[in-house]
Amino acid sequence: MLTVHQLTKRFSNGKGIFDISFTVNKGEVFGFLGPNGAGKSTTIRHIMGFMKPDGGFVQVKGLDTWREQGKVQASIGYLPGEIAFIEGMTGQSFLGFMAAMQGVRDLRKRDQLIERLQFDVRTPIRKMSKGMKQKVGIVAAFMHDPAVIILDEPTSGLDPLMQKVFIELVLEEKARGTTFLMSSHSFPEIERTCDRAAIIKDGRLVAVNDIHELQSLQRKLFEVTFADAASAQRFAANAAGLAIESHKERSVRVAVQGNYEAFVQETAKYKVRNIDVFTQNLEDIFMNYYDREGTIR
Amino acid sequence: MNATLYVQMMKVNLKGFLNYALGSAFYILLMFWLYPSMASNAKAIDELVQAMPEGVGRAFALTGFDSAEAFISGEYYGLILVLILAIVCVQLSTQLMAKLVDQGAMAYLLATPTTRGKVAGAQAAVLVSGLLLIMAVTTLAGLAGDAWFLDGKFAFDTTRFLQMNAAAFLLFFAVGGISFLVSACSNDEKKARGISGLITFGFFSFDLLGKLSENIDWMRDISIFSLYRPADIVNGTARLAPAFALLFAIGLVAFAVAVVWFRKRDLPL
Repeated sequence: MLTVHQLTKRFSNGKGIFDISFTVNKGEVFGFLGPNGAGKSTTIRHIMGFMKPDGGFVQVKGLDTWREQGKVQASIGYLPGEIAFIEGMTGQSFLGFMAAMQGVRDLRKRDQLIERLQFDVRTPIRKMSKGMKQKVGIVAAFMHDPAVIILDEPTSGLDPLMQKVFIELVLEEKARGTTFLMSSHSFPEIERTCDRAAIIKDGRLVAVNDIHELQSLQRKLFEVTFADAASAQRFAANAAGLAIESHKERSVRVAVQGNYEAFVQETAKYKVRNIDVFTQNLEDIFMNYYDREGTIR
Repeated sequence: MNATLYVQMMKVNLKGFLNYALGSAFYILLMFWLYPSMASNAKAIDELVQAMPEGVGRAFALTGFDSAEAFISGEYYGLILVLILAIVCVQLSTQLMAKLVDQGAMAYLLATPTTRGKVAGAQAAVLVSGLLLIMAVTTLAGLAGDAWFLDGKFAFDTTRFLQMNAAAFLLFFAVGGISFLVSACSNDEKKARGISGLITFGFFSFDLLGKLSENIDWMRDISIFSLYRPADIVNGTARLAPAFALLFAIGLVAFAVAVVWFRKRDLPL
């Protein structure tokens, strides 16, 4: 459905993207992860046909996104990372205008989406909050029922409730066979929606992984508070194969990376008062991952 | 050209166009209203103009007040209309392209099934339509002013008045084309406005300075504003055909290059 083939773009400062290749299949949600400046946006700009590749190509439904402008966009929905609309319009007039540009006659889907995301379309765009603009953008990206939807940092600005609604929306569309490419910083968002994810760093694709594989890379810190200090002492001493980060009176911090079962079994042997979890953020996972990759190479 | 985009952008910008058009119409009517009282003192005023340094009269197209179109030419087409339209060209061309790219709204337009050529074409058409609208309203106001205030009692050469309006439109078709070209090549709104402002007002100043003193006459030769000579049109000494053709050609080429360039370049959206 979406093919990126040996995509290369070199900017005058030596940065850019180099030899990026991946394929997203129909009905798949593909995550695109990487720290800021790694080349996520540049890749998306090529997918949208905003930039001309130095080498390689991007195809959506078999159409080259740079050369087949005017045709290829009919099957693409796009939510830009930076939200800016044409000034002097309300949400309503903007969406009406976008529908006309997209050639959409059936406006039911638009109305459904507006109802679902709960916002007042009559508000002038310049008076909208960031989250509200984001909602307008989401409606514009989904309303023409495109085969492929490109989302650049889609949930930034949305409150947690709306993030949940948004994730539901993505999963529903996915069930209907829509293909997604989603760039993100938020691991939970990727975790709940994506099947596979690509990690990009310094303009190069580091890995394309199954999402479960990425989940196993994520290290979580559990702070277990035991009923008494003795239990904590014994747990810390006997926990074979568990990485004990620190031990302080009744509480022990354990780093778990994939080996949840061992952790649960060992913990269950004692009386536990409380467990707190600290999730490692995506940035750290990357760093971990890169370091590991680096040593392997 | 993308018709949907054209209609939408006209809607968004119509209020601005009308403000300029009505302002211009009001000013020209004011001039027509003033003329009869000026004409009765024409001799005294002519003497006043004669007394000014020669260059000043030439620079501001003060050709005398013996006919209504000469008065209008001097008082309006020589300076104020030119400034208004120059501002419209620089502002509007920047808003229509560079601003949309800078702020990112262009991404929405290009994500719909249209081509960049059509988007740029529609935006160019909006700019030209705006100029045409302002000039049309100004011309009609002039003709109305003639019928209303001069009432056949004072000389008014309609043909030359129309030629003057056509010349003004063509000048700004060319200036608008150049500004649009700058805008279509820019990623930065402020830079686009700065550069096209510099070019437009640079040309304008060269023309003005060249007119002020004969020693720096050559300055006029490098300014497209020298192709617009309302005073000569009024006197009947202007060679219209080559000037019109050249202005039209400059505008057309600039718009065409803008569209082609915009189709090919990388957009940071």
